[in-house]
Amino acid sequence: MARPGFVLEVDDRTPPLLVHNGEGFKLERFPLGTRVIYPPEALPPVRDVEEAIQNALLNPLESEPLPELLFAGMRLTIAFDDISIPLPPMKKPDIRQRIIEAVLTMAADAGVDDVELISANALHRRLTPNELRDIVGERVFRSFFPDGKLYNFDAEDAANLTHLGQTKHGEDVEISKRAAESDLLVYVNVNLVAMDGGHKSTSIGLASYKSLKHHHNSHTMIHSRSFMDHKASKMHESAWRMGSVLTEHVKVFQIETSLNNDIFGGPLEFLQKREWEWSIKDQASMLATKRGLDLAPAKMRHKIFTDVRSNYGLTGIHAGKIEPVHDKTLENVHRQHLVEVQGQSDVAIMGVPFIGPYNVNSVMNPILAACMGLGYYFNSYRGSPVVRKDGAVILYHPVDYEFSQLHHPSYVDFFEEVLSESTDPATIEAKFEKQYAEDPWYIHLYRTSYAYHGVHPFYMWYWISHALDHCGDIVWVGGNRKTVERMGFRSASTLQDALEMVSHSVGRSPSITYLHNPPHLLADVR
Amino acid sequence: MGTNLVKFSRDTVRDVQQVARGWRWGRRPQVPRSAEPYVIPRETTVFPTKWARTPAAIAVREVLLKGALNSVMRYEVNPQVSGLDSLTKVHGPAVIVANHSSHLDTPLVLCTLPDAMRRKTAVAAAADYFFDTWWRATASAIMFNTFPIERRGGKLSQTPGDLLEDGWNVVVFPEGTRSPDGWMERFRMGAAYIAVEHGVPVIPVGIKGSFAAMPRGRGWPVPGRPTVAVRYGDPIYPLEGETPREFAPRISAAVSALLDEEATTWWEARRRVAAGTSPAQTGPDAARWRRVWESTTPIKPAASKRRAWK
Repeated sequence: MARPGFVLEVDDRTPPLLVHNGEGFKLERFPLGTRVIYPPEALPPVRDVEEAIQNALLNPLESEPLPELLFAGMRLTIAFDDISIPLPPMKKPDIRQRIIEAVLTMAADAGVDDVELISANALHRRLTPNELRDIVGERVFRSFFPDGKLYNFDAEDAANLTHLGQTKHGEDVEISKRAAESDLLVYVNVNLVAMDGGHKSTSIGLASYKSLKHHHNSHTMIHSRSFMDHKASKMHESAWRMGSVLTEHVKVFQIETSLNNDIFGGPLEFLQKREWEWSIKDQASMLATKRGLDLAPAKMRHKIFTDVRSNYGLTGIHAGKIEPVHDKTLENVHRQHLVEVQGQSDVAIMGVPFIGPYNVNSVMNPILAACMGLGYYFNSYRGSPVVRKDGAVILYHPVDYEFSQLHHPSYVDFFEEVLSESTDPATIEAKFEKQYAEDPWYIHLYRTSYAYHGVHPFYMWYWISHALDHCGDIVWVGGNRKTVERMGFRSASTLQDALEMVSHSVGRSPSITYLHNPPHLLADVR
Repeated sequence: MGTNLVKFSRDTVRDVQQVARGWRWGRRPQVPRSAEPYVIPRETTVFPTKWARTPAAIAVREVLLKGALNSVMRYEVNPQVSGLDSLTKVHGPAVIVANHSSHLDTPLVLCTLPDAMRRKTAVAAAADYFFDTWWRATASAIMFNTFPIERRGGKLSQTPGDLLEDGWNVVVFPEGTRSPDGWMERFRMGAAYIAVEHGVPVIPVGIKGSFAAMPRGRGWPVPGRPTVAVRYGDPIYPLEGETPREFAPRISAAVSALLDEEATTWWEARRRVAAGTSPAQTGPDAARWRRVWESTTPIKPAASKRRAWK
């Protein structure tokens, strides 16, 4: 029986608590009275995944069963979430592979010849062939990739984009031409957190910059409170409006899955256990891992974390019409992630881990670290932020000056050129976004190499705009002083120093809340 | 390289020390108070203790108890035993029931029992506390002849009955755990149930002063060789047709009377029992500090050497 999440109050019996710190972790003794939010334990997974998939496809919500939608001579497109979810990546076989194989089996039975599979990566980097194979599996890869029928979405390929119209708010809906012109678009989703899925899947995953800029901007993001709650998120409102336009033109069969919190296994299992329940074996594993990581060269440390694959259990799969499917999925996601928290606090503490959506098989550069902490973790709430208005956020991450020239070329320039001029999201949006979005070199790298789109670092910065607007102080513990300063934050050597630094705004005895994730949690702040 | 190695070694020592302190190596792990409602009760496995009642184990225990523990205990505390003559009224196995406020209680009872009786006495010990690790279970079984008993409700272990059938006396602390403030807690039904079920007498024991000598949280008695009183009472027998529910209050009252007797005299305590005015040994309804203050009133000044001059 999985135990629910809960809020611990640090007392004299509490051992040091684990804090993620990039490619490593720390043991920290928090001040007495600190609230620590623990996520629920991993829910029991669905026992027979294949049966659950069949059941979802044959008994969809507000839709005909999938076999009835398939017919010979049709154009079938299967789009799927890219490598940015789940985090860390899933152990094989990936749930997307199992679903896609089931869908293709039905399509083959119906005599469908014209099938294409698209990785819905929007402005994310293209997936390498190996990464595609990891997601869809060997059989699918071998059947479709050599013929160019399994590929990454290209948001800059104007010839293969279709403008479906505008929403009543004047937002352009421009998506993949192939998807738009298909008789049926099957979207295979992994709903790792509450932000994913719904109309965000197709309307964002297969959309161009022209379409994305309507909601990926500082104004929308600052009013997405939070984007983990789609009913309170301006970004999701926009995506939902676009979804309405899209579904008027395209028949979408949405397949959504939700996963449990079984993230760390084997020698890293202690990372998802509650500290006071660590056995001698867990303590020994932690010590061995910590000392080993300290001793290991940076490359080896990076490889150790890059190779982490999670077990994940499927907690639910639903298919059919987008809205009812997403409602069911969110029920499962909330069951796994929601933790009730009473009231806000003066200070929120978060440990930024080694991975985020945009550095899978890559490095977490300073902008991505900021996005992970102040974007994703700060926004992991429903109701109100965990920290009060003008409160302080303290993050743990080394924030090394380290960029992947292959994956994040525009990030380097953004960091050096844009952030040196301003860190205000609205200012940099007005002054620099267009230039980066339309830069031919970045577009070339996005289309032909494995680079994120030139505008992507701007989106990361907009992602944190709500936190920047809400928080009075942001301090990084153990962060590289130069990089942290460039981003407009401050760095402290220890938690005690950080609390000292923020004491002018939150006082000497602030209320503190530490978000103990990953595994993922969603604070339901009352 | 040398510097790196020194730094690595220093950091390793620091990390190990942090874990050793944080996770209380060598001591019982603790759960933060706010996390207690979420603790999953551990499934206790039955630890075999039959070996602890073999002649060899009894001989080893005799050496450990009489040779080592008794000497150390009498060096650290000053046990005052009374009522041993009551034990001569018992023939055959009995359930020995005492109030419980310290880890000193078990050695106090065992070391003050007559030798022949002690050698045939086993102690019921909480399965979740004394039998949670193999080494703790082994140590307590060899030292005190303990056997595991479930204290968090549920069905009783079969062992107490088997032991009584085999002629062993069984020590039970019916409060289930040590008193947090030195005063008697509510007696649970276990001891009464065993006595009624097997038709054996209950020997009440009142222990006073052990909380002051070594309360919860201490691993060693306080300095100053405090006095601890152990008073045995006359055996009480379950009446014909008496249920455990009816018998349990009589046991509790007998222990209370012994504690009252400790504070007054046998005669006064008897008269108060007859009049139904025995003071409750549950302590005053007051702030915790006052309860602790009251319960730790020294029985008499700690034994001290006479001075050469007054």
